[in-house]
Amino acid sequence: MAKAKDALLDPLFNNNPIALQILGICSALAVTNKLSTALTMGIAVTLVTGFSSGAISAIRKHIPTSIRIIVQMTIIATLVIIIDQMLKAYAYEMSKALSVYVGLIITNCIVMGRAEAFAMKNPVGISFMDGIGNGLGYTLVLLTVGFVRELFGSGKLFGLTVLNPVNNGGWYVTNGLMLLAPSAFFLIGFIIWGLRTWKPELQE
Amino acid sequence: MSNDSTLKTFLVAFLLCVVCSVLVCLAALVRIDREAYNKQLEIRKTVLAADGYDVGKMSGDDIDKLFLDNMERKIVDLETGEFTDAVDVETYDQRAALENPDLTVKIPAEANIAGMGSRAKYAAIYMTKDGDVILPIWGAGMWGQMHGYIALQKDGTTVKGFTFYEHSETPGLGAEVDNPRWKAQWPGKQIYNSSGRLAIKVVKNGKYNARASDANSTIDGLAGATVTSMHVKDIVRYWFGDNGYAKFLAKLKAKRG
Repeated sequence: MAKAKDALLDPLFNNNPIALQILGICSALAVTNKLSTALTMGIAVTLVTGFSSGAISAIRKHIPTSIRIIVQMTIIATLVIIIDQMLKAYAYEMSKALSVYVGLIITNCIVMGRAEAFAMKNPVGISFMDGIGNGLGYTLVLLTVGFVRELFGSGKLFGLTVLNPVNNGGWYVTNGLMLLAPSAFFLIGFIIWGLRTWKPELQE
Repeated sequence: MSNDSTLKTFLVAFLLCVVCSVLVCLAALVRIDREAYNKQLEIRKTVLAADGYDVGKMSGDDIDKLFLDNMERKIVDLETGEFTDAVDVETYDQRAALENPDLTVKIPAEANIAGMGSRAKYAAIYMTKDGDVILPIWGAGMWGQMHGYIALQKDGTTVKGFTFYEHSETPGLGAEVDNPRWKAQWPGKQIYNSSGRLAIKVVKNGKYNARASDANSTIDGLAGATVTSMHVKDIVRYWFGDNGYAKFLAKLKAKRG
C-alpha cells in the first residue's frame, strides 16, 4: 500500500510533472487565466492520465513492441475524445472556454510520458494511482497559476469579485499581463524556483 | 503466440481499433443529441439578454419558457426588406446558410466593411409582442469573428440592448465588449438620426463628447482595445446599412406609421 501511496502523492511535490519534469507547459499557459477553466482542465487531464495508465497497464503484456506507441496514443486519444464530447454535451460554455485545449490533451507529454515510463512496466492498480497522482500534480500547478492570474488579472476568484476592479467602478487596477499567456511563464518559473528552494534535492 | 509476431500485431491493432471506435461513437452520439439543444439555448439566452432580460442565473428550462412566451421568430429577405417564407421559420440556420451558395449573396466590395465577403440572403430575427426587434449581427473582430444580437425598440432606431455570444478578443482588453458597464452605454442610442441617415458610431476611448450634437448616436470605445472597438463599429454600421437591415427597418417603420 505504501507504494500506491507514493505513486499517488510523489507527483504532487517531489516529482511534479510541470515543475520538475517540465511537461505539459503549453496547456498550463493557455487555460489558466481563470480558475474555473484551470480546474476543469486539471480534472480532465487527471481522468485521462489515470484511466489511460490503467488501461495500458492492463494490456501491457499483449502490446507488441513494434506498435507500442501507437497503441498508447489510440487509448489516450479515445479517452480524450470521450471527455471532450461529454464536455460539449453537458458543459457547453466550459467547452467553449477551453476550446481546442481539451483535444490537445492527446499531445500532453504527461499522459504519454506516464504511459511509456510507468504503465508499461507496472500492475494496473499502481499504474492507475500513478496516473491520477500525476494528473493531480498538474492540477495543483494549474490551480496555483490560475489563482494568481485570475486574482490579479480580473480581481476575481472562480468568477466571484474579490478585488473590485476599476472597470466595474471599484478601486483595483487590473494587471493586464496576468490575463495573457506569458504571465504563466513567469509564475511557473517562480513555482519551480520556490519548489527547488524548499526541496534542494530536486536541484539538478 | 509470440507477442511480436505479425499476426499478433495485426490482431492487437484490430481489436484495439474496434473497441476504441465503439467508445468514440457512443460518446459522439451523446454529444450530437445534446448539441442542438445547447446551441439553441445559447441563442435564446443571447436574444433575451440583448432585449434586456437578466438571464445570467436562470436555468435552461426557465430560459426556454421565457423565450417562447415573449419571442417570435421571423425570416427577413434582406434584399426586399420583407418577411418571407422561402425557408422554414423554425429550422432555418443563418450561420449554416453561409455554406450554401443558393442562400448567400456576395457583398459589394465597397460595402464590405465588416470583413465578411458574403452574407446570407435571409436573416432569422426575433420580435416581441411590444414590437422590439432583435437582430443577429456579425463580422470580423481582432482575432476572429464576433457574433451577437442587437435589440431595437419599436421605432426601429433606438437601441434596447446589445450583446455578443461568441468572439475571441483578448481577455481584459477587447473581451471587455462583454463588460456590462460598457454594454450599458448602448440602450437609448439612436441607430439613425432624425433625417433617417445611419448615425451610430463607436469612437476611440475618451473621444466621446456628451455635449456634441451626435452624442446620442455615439458610443465611447473600450480603453486599450481600439481595434476591437472599431471592428464593433464596422459590424454595427454594416448591418444597419443598405446591405443589412436598413430596408427592413424602413419598411417596418412605414407599416407601423
